[in-house]
Amino acid sequence: MKTTFLKDFFAIRGMGQVVSVTMALVVMVIVFGVINPSFFSGENTTNLLRQVVPILIIGIGQSFVMITGGIDLSIGSVAGMSSMISATLMTTAGLDPWTASAITLFACSLVGFLNGVLVSVAKLPAFIATLGTMIIARGIAQLANGNMNTDGIPESAEGFKNFFYYGEFLGLYNAIWIGFAIFVFFAFILGRTRTGRHTYAIGSNYEAAKLSGVNVVAAETKVYVISSLLAGVVGLMLTAQSGMGTMNAGNMYELNAVAASVIGGVSTMGGQGLLFGTVIGSFIWGVLNNGLQFAGAPLALRNLVIGLVVIISVLIDRVARSGKITFFKKRSR
Amino acid sequence: MPMVRATWHVVFPTERGRVDDYLMQLSGISKSFPGVKALDDVSFNLKSGEVHALLGENGAGKSTLMKIISGIYQRDTGSFLLNGTEVGELNPKKAQELGIAIIHQELNMCTDLTVAENMFLGRELHTRGVVRQAQMNLMAKDILNQLKIDIDPTTVVKKLPVSKQQMVEIAKALSTNARVLIMDEPTSALTEREIVELFRIIRDLKKNGCAIVYISHRLEELKEITDRVSVFRDGRYVATRNFNETNLDELISLMVGREIKDKFPQVKTAIGRKILAVSGLNAGMVRNASFDLFAGEIVGISGLMGAGRTELVRALFGADPIESGEVVLEGKTITIRHPRDAIDQGIVLGPEDRKKQGLCIELSIRENIGLANLDTICNRLGVVRRKVEKQLAERAIREVRIKTPTAEQTVKNLSGGNQQKVVLVKWLVRDAKVVIFDEPTRGVDVASKVEIYNLMNDLKRKGVGVLFVSSEMPEVMGMSDRILVMCNGKITKELDSKKTTQDEILRYATQYNS
Repeated sequence: MKTTFLKDFFAIRGMGQVVSVTMALVVMVIVFGVINPSFFSGENTTNLLRQVVPILIIGIGQSFVMITGGIDLSIGSVAGMSSMISATLMTTAGLDPWTASAITLFACSLVGFLNGVLVSVAKLPAFIATLGTMIIARGIAQLANGNMNTDGIPESAEGFKNFFYYGEFLGLYNAIWIGFAIFVFFAFILGRTRTGRHTYAIGSNYEAAKLSGVNVVAAETKVYVISSLLAGVVGLMLTAQSGMGTMNAGNMYELNAVAASVIGGVSTMGGQGLLFGTVIGSFIWGVLNNGLQFAGAPLALRNLVIGLVVIISVLIDRVARSGKITFFKKRSR
Repeated sequence: MPMVRATWHVVFPTERGRVDDYLMQLSGISKSFPGVKALDDVSFNLKSGEVHALLGENGAGKSTLMKIISGIYQRDTGSFLLNGTEVGELNPKKAQELGIAIIHQELNMCTDLTVAENMFLGRELHTRGVVRQAQMNLMAKDILNQLKIDIDPTTVVKKLPVSKQQMVEIAKALSTNARVLIMDEPTSALTEREIVELFRIIRDLKKNGCAIVYISHRLEELKEITDRVSVFRDGRYVATRNFNETNLDELISLMVGREIKDKFPQVKTAIGRKILAVSGLNAGMVRNASFDLFAGEIVGISGLMGAGRTELVRALFGADPIESGEVVLEGKTITIRHPRDAIDQGIVLGPEDRKKQGLCIELSIRENIGLANLDTICNRLGVVRRKVEKQLAERAIREVRIKTPTAEQTVKNLSGGNQQKVVLVKWLVRDAKVVIFDEPTRGVDVASKVEIYNLMNDLKRKGVGVLFVSSEMPEVMGMSDRILVMCNGKITKELDSKKTTQDEILRYATQYNS
């Protein structure tokens, strides 16, 4: 019974990479802990988790897009847009936080829908379409409150702040629980539902998916809506965290999310990837950032290391896969 | 650097007239991959100026052997003599220097570059890094002229039809002074007329002393050009014959190790009611196509490459838009805008290019079969019922005998014949009313072909209407009840397959002025 479970587990495509990345993460954690034992302190672990969560959530959206063979450069800006729209609605417009949040998420999903239509119907390269909307969304973030960050959101938004960030459940910040819930939900969508299967299929072979009866336009649009919506959630978290709307919130998140996905084994060519890998990837990103900081490394060095890790993890994947290519040739002799 | 003149002559004065001396001799060649012995003590020899066909089912070891000869794989054991001297370790570059060139089934060209740029790719003539394009164009033209191929070397490759691209590859190989040319399934994408042209070139090369190794599944065409034939089976060498001293039946039985009695196992069924009626269909190049299809009938669609056969069936399946015309399925007029519509109505298609259109090759057999049947596999919330999916996949594997350890096997690890079975079976587990096969046997070995024919017959017995597009006339004639011949987007003739001949089909397939 147990062995079949293990067999099934390793039979999941891409699990090999995820397991090795997880081991790398464990080693990393141990090394940082040895260098500076206070790395393990309750305060720092919570801190670390909270740093990781936004990248993790955005990374999940990015992974969906990448599995279809695309990329979404707009999501960092969408998070900023979400932060600014929600805070402006709460302050200047005086809406209650929940209405403001709903409107914000709707606006964000519109950006995703636009991305999706540009890519799936107008057949623009995802890189170009989302580069455009990335700039547009940042522009909207700046426009929202007349090119200024907002004032602090009102006292009445305490519940909002607690829900999206500071509230605690079982000793952990709500932000962490939200990240966890999003992971579980979308891992289920990707692994177990028709939507998930369509996502892999169009990334693996668009034409074959279409000829198998998949509504490819809808399936491709859907992933961009998902990624923008998740970016919107992150924007709300950022507003809750800082208590105000910040125009450059979410800056570079889209690329950090690509890094997290790629480290976790999501293929930039589409068709392959597991959200669990993305989670581990974002933790590696976070642990490196946080751990190097704790070990006293300057910011410049941190960036250097993280950049190298991205490249190395893809290289390792390539090498592992080239092993598979010989396997393939053997069969097609 | 001295002025490089456009020189290309395949001249081997020493080999001329000594036909029994082997240009290339391989013996005791073995090659293992983890877990599989791909070649086991294989021998092969080649004379200059001969066309030597390699036969064997998929997985017999032909491609592995050719990859060893062209330096892509290293052999584990065995000797490899070229002109009587051992070549030792080989890599693709060294093989090229030794005059060995391979033309793969899937052409390897930078399709955005010109013909001349492709021919000189990697060995551009240059003066301190600046390429001498005009000179290369002239040299390319010279080589093409010698082969009597009418192509402008400054044409961008992607604007050429596949047949011309292939000729460019041949010219490219010869521009490296190849004396051994390996061709892997060169005719699989060519029309009859293009094949004639290819064979003309092959005969010219032969006259110049070039040795050609020719891999093909199309046994019928071998007799045009082949001098000798070597047969492989399961990684072992079986036999070599002079082609004029053997016959197709012997070759087939050597290949499969048993007699295939019935190459086209046609079954007789009573023709049922009219299932499909198409009238006045216009879609892309397809003009005013009208035909009927009855239950329990196989209708072949024949024609040359580019006649509009694939376009016709893709339109029926909703893969390409229908501009006008009526499609009546079981007496009801239906609208097809997307493959989904066709599938829901019970019309399914196995597309012509399995890797590009038929399969997600990184996904498993289970997922590929599941993808086409998610409507039945998923529950109302869109959640995949894994048990149902697994059972479906396992049933499919059993039914068409896909050779695989489990349903979880990634499709790219399957042989061509088994991949094709996955493409087809994902539809056959549904209760379709009309099943369209577009080139189902392309690049598939003889035994798998027969299994695919049997699949078609099973459908026929169940009362399904089958449309069967194929470029191989013998199989269309052997398997179909009726044949629709297409030319230039129009259906030019409907023929009774019992009473027609290849000549007659070809006549209507070239009826451009109707």
